[in-house]
Amino acid sequence: MVLGKYKQITLARSTDKQIQNISQDGGIATGLLAFALDEKIIDGAVVAGPSDEMWKPEPTVALTADEIMAAAGTKYTLCPNNWMIKEAVRQYGLEKVGVVTIPCQTMGLRKMQSYPFGTRFMADKIALIVGICCTENFSFESLKTFIEAKAGVNFDLVEKMDIGKGKFWVYTQDGTINFPIKETHGYEQNGCKVCLDLVSELSDISTGSIGAPDDWSAVEVRTDAGDTVFSKAVDAGLIETKPIDEGKFGLEMLTRLARQKKEKAMKEIDRRKELGLPVPYKASSEKEDPLANI
Amino acid sequence: MSEKIVISPTSRQEGHAELVMEVDDEGIVTKGRYFSITPVRGLERIVTGKAPETAPVITQRICGVCPIPHTLASVEAMDDSLDIEIPKAGRQLRELLLAAHDINSHCIHHFLIAQDVVPADLMVTAINSVSEIRKNVQYVVDMVGGEGIHPSDVRIGGMAKNLSEVARKRLYARLKALKPKLDAHVELITGLVADKGFPKGLGVTSAPAVASHPTYGDGTNFDVDRFTEILPESWYDDPEIGKRACSTIPLYDGLNVEVGPRARAEVYRGFNERGVVAQHVARAIEMKIALSKIIDILAELDTSAPVLADFDVRGTNKLGIGAIEGPRGMDVHMAQVADGKTQFYSALVPTTWNIPTMGIATEGFHHEFGPHVIRAYDPCLSCATHVIVVDDEDRSVIKNEMVRI
Repeated sequence: MVLGKYKQITLARSTDKQIQNISQDGGIATGLLAFALDEKIIDGAVVAGPSDEMWKPEPTVALTADEIMAAAGTKYTLCPNNWMIKEAVRQYGLEKVGVVTIPCQTMGLRKMQSYPFGTRFMADKIALIVGICCTENFSFESLKTFIEAKAGVNFDLVEKMDIGKGKFWVYTQDGTINFPIKETHGYEQNGCKVCLDLVSELSDISTGSIGAPDDWSAVEVRTDAGDTVFSKAVDAGLIETKPIDEGKFGLEMLTRLARQKKEKAMKEIDRRKELGLPVPYKASSEKEDPLANI
Repeated sequence: MSEKIVISPTSRQEGHAELVMEVDDEGIVTKGRYFSITPVRGLERIVTGKAPETAPVITQRICGVCPIPHTLASVEAMDDSLDIEIPKAGRQLRELLLAAHDINSHCIHHFLIAQDVVPADLMVTAINSVSEIRKNVQYVVDMVGGEGIHPSDVRIGGMAKNLSEVARKRLYARLKALKPKLDAHVELITGLVADKGFPKGLGVTSAPAVASHPTYGDGTNFDVDRFTEILPESWYDDPEIGKRACSTIPLYDGLNVEVGPRARAEVYRGFNERGVVAQHVARAIEMKIALSKIIDILAELDTSAPVLADFDVRGTNKLGIGAIEGPRGMDVHMAQVADGKTQFYSALVPTTWNIPTMGIATEGFHHEFGPHVIRAYDPCLSCATHVIVVDDEDRSVIKNEMVRI
């Protein structure tokens, strides 16, 4: 199963107008965390908040819905959220932490929970992991370099970035510029080349734009914790859902892209293994299902 | 005719020590000698020549039972050597950390003496009470220190981070709720110690009590000119013991002294009783004092205030003294910093002060009370580097005089 285990897959979006305006797609990560905070399912969340520099996110502990909203929207650069969890449970004294993570960070958190070495009384305080889809990620300098070079705009003038329809989109006051996503290859960080996970397979609930129409998100509800918060939010009318399109631009595309990411990564893993390089995954010959995320 | 009774190692304490008692025909101790057989510590050597920030990180590893006093004494010594005035909130957090640790450590001691004083039918109650209190105070240590055992957030110049307002309120509520439980625990332990019926005068010595502060510690109250350190050979009149003892003998005004909860109570609170029972009572009362201090600090703490001062790390070679009143007594670290490096470092840990006094305290009573007297001091002969000499050629041990348990 290339999308990992899930209880339910659906299209969803936040019904809150304010969240719709600021969010990347359906506003699911922002909406769910804000709802979980209101419902006291979590008492704070680690999110990619704003920093002094435009487009450079900083791991932030959000204690209010406003602080969560300030972190809405995708930033296509690294934000080490896991690093902030310790501060969230220590200096901030949180006992039920929500966290937004990309697939690699989700794997890190689950590993931490199954083997809490050096993370005493931290791993057990993570109450909700909202995973986001990720094809690849860029270091801040790479992102700045290729946007200025390929889109020809000053990085400070960018208002929104997006990946969709095979293209990287850059929105500014004056217009929208796009270039093929292929042109960003080579700028992504090295670890992304061996990553087998597109959809945060190990999260409680994952969300992303692939397979969803504009302003909607494709959501996979995976665990009991994810199910509880999602169905409560739907019941409360804060999130609306509609069935995902099974066809070419819906589930089929999501599945295809997830499979492609795995196949490509597996090739690279095998190549690196052959060269004797250290890779944190098994080679395809070592596992039953070559596409499994292990 | 005198007989010699040797307990080696003495049990239910941290580290390894030996108690040698000479007894008369009735079994009464005529001469008691207590000495550390925990081998060499090289931590002071390790930090010399390194950046001052290294010292608190390394010296907190002196012990896993009371790492917090060591960390605090180390940063206080460095603050003093580098002439740093730490922000008020930083100082409050340090005091908060120590008070929480104090309760935790005293609780562990109650666990160690449970076999001596708690009857079988109350054992479960006593142990649950210890666990409940420890869980709550360690929660404070986790949040303020950053880590429950070796705190990562205690820094030269203050603390790494302030608490958040959420954490402050949460801790306040939790610790306030702990108060009745702690009061009941103190009552239980002091009651049980009284019920045990230790003979009157057990463990009483004439050693002067030394303390630097009622609760936290103050380096200015430790006068380095009144302090001398002698080798065990010249303290113990038995040459064999003098040779085997692993710690030096610190003296204040040329006398062996007593440090710890009872010493603090005597110096600052006019508590005049001495001996085993007095030590247990003083220790238990100190838990209440520490808890009320925690609650006060949490009520006052300004969570938006700065906690870390800027400082110049180069130093002027001033001898900095950091004295911290740890659970087992005054812990003094001394440091000199010049050219951005630690030039000199020395740690005088609490039990080292008590070691020469503890043997003497067993005298005059039956030797069966010896271990009770020792445990009343809650000795902690902290973990140390166990040095063995290995022949590099064939990896064999050519000299092995280590303690075998």
